[in-house]
Amino acid sequence: MPILEINHVSKFFGGLAAVSDVSFSVEAGSIMGLIGPNGAGKTTLFNCITGYYPPSRGEVFFHGRRMNGLDPDKVCMLGMVRTWQKVRPLARLSVVDNVMVGALAHTSSLRTARALAMDQLRVVGLDHRADFTAGGLPIGERKKLEVARALATRPKLLLLDEVMGGLNPAESAEIIQLILDIKQQGLTQMVIEHDMKAIMRISDRIVVLTSGEKLMEGTPQEVVTNPDVITAYLGESHA
Amino acid sequence: MSNTMLKAAAGFILLALLLAIPKQVESPYALHMMILLFLSISMGQSWNILGGFAGQYSVGHAAYFGVGAYATMMLMQARQVPPWIGVWAGMVLVVAVALAIGSICFRLRGPYFVLASIAVAEILRLSAINLTALTNGAEGILVTELPAFKLGERVLTDFSTKVPFYYIGLSLALLTIGVTYGVQHSKLGYFFQAIREDQDAAHSLGISISLYKNIALVISAVLTSLAGAYYGIYVGFVDPPTVLGLDLSVQIMLICIIGGMGTLWGPVLGALVLVPMSEALRSNLVTDLLVKVGLVNADSKVGVFLKENLAHAHVLLYGILVVLVILFMPDGLMGFVKKLARPRKQEVA
Repeated sequence: MPILEINHVSKFFGGLAAVSDVSFSVEAGSIMGLIGPNGAGKTTLFNCITGYYPPSRGEVFFHGRRMNGLDPDKVCMLGMVRTWQKVRPLARLSVVDNVMVGALAHTSSLRTARALAMDQLRVVGLDHRADFTAGGLPIGERKKLEVARALATRPKLLLLDEVMGGLNPAESAEIIQLILDIKQQGLTQMVIEHDMKAIMRISDRIVVLTSGEKLMEGTPQEVVTNPDVITAYLGESHA
Repeated sequence: MSNTMLKAAAGFILLALLLAIPKQVESPYALHMMILLFLSISMGQSWNILGGFAGQYSVGHAAYFGVGAYATMMLMQARQVPPWIGVWAGMVLVVAVALAIGSICFRLRGPYFVLASIAVAEILRLSAINLTALTNGAEGILVTELPAFKLGERVLTDFSTKVPFYYIGLSLALLTIGVTYGVQHSKLGYFFQAIREDQDAAHSLGISISLYKNIALVISAVLTSLAGAYYGIYVGFVDPPTVLGLDLSVQIMLICIIGGMGTLWGPVLGALVLVPMSEALRSNLVTDLLVKVGLVNADSKVGVFLKENLAHAHVLLYGILVVLVILFMPDGLMGFVKKLARPRKQEVA
């Protein structure tokens, strides 16, 4: 049964269609990859799903519930949380306090929230940084902090926007393992990523966007062998 | 002895000292200074909750101060309502005002919020000047005598000395510090700071931005209105420029900014620096001191110049201090103290 259904979603900015008539659904417990060249509308689609922009047309259903028009905080409380391509640490708070903010979505007890936050920090391997100021972390650790903070809200669907962007291969490998570990726990994920090797490895299915439109959807194998995808990425001569 | 126990012991000793001061100190001037100190702590701490923790820089806090002061004074003058009852009416009114302001201004971010907060306070100031039937306009409201505070038949105080005002001020300062402590050690404090650090990130983590901004505003406004009511009954006179003016709004902010925003003791430190400083400058204390230590001859040209002008220069020096603090201590005095206490311990190398 699909946990997320996107039905004919479009988003216009003035005359520009940033996302245009995109439909697909995400099965519970799976990882859906979302790829496409720069400016294809991947992040805009995330924003439409998580309540930052209302879709201009079309509908988003989460657990069968229509999500159009809900604010991001409501979306989060219903179990859908996203991370940010450009990381957004709460810079002057400590690392553990950052994650506690996420944990406090479902508890009012600071003690419970702190315990939960420490658990999540251990999951992403940041527990040794708990008392450091979040703004001072290097990029790799900031990306992990984004994931830990999102996980602390106890989501059912996690939307990761380029968590591997700007990381070195060793750090990327850690994140890939983390995403697979999270999947083992039964959490559904939707992942935007430019690193093709990574996305092939982790995704159960992949949606390809170009210029706001859905080019194709399929298994990683189907995607890499599709001539349209190769054209979109590399131009006509390579197809 | 553990750190917490030491802190608690120090707190108790300080509190005992503060409670004993009026018993030992007769000088009305000294008590007056303490009262100004308590008032400043209360104002700075109230602003701290909205500005320091939630990061919403209101430059219109005089609005809440003025509404609290006017409501209490108007009820006392027109209806003979004693201030300890009138202040509740003021608080209800200020919640209504705050929510109205919040629903308008919180649609705006950053500098636009600042401008809107100034505008709203100015609207209230101009209203107070022009609604003469209600507020007595620019002449202000004068209440010379407070009713005696009775418990049953027993008169607890008739407000003939500064002593009762001292204790009210102390309670108010402790209340604002206590509320800030409560905020800091609860979900509210975390949510306020998350909004301050990154509103969009906070929103994605399930925090209703408008709800928590308004909660911060209401707490801050109610405490500010208490400070306003306290000011009104202590001075016995309110008029639009003193309790609703932009000067006051700026003064409220500065206590917190100079002391250290988003910290429990910042506004206390700010008040401890600003109150004596502005008093010393205002009252020729500095000139007298320079004469006394022999740096300046009282009858020389310099001495006469200082005597005539330094008192008027306190606003200028105030401004210079603000510039220095912003340049060299961006986290305020509290940030400076913390840095001295543990140098760069929590930074990744």
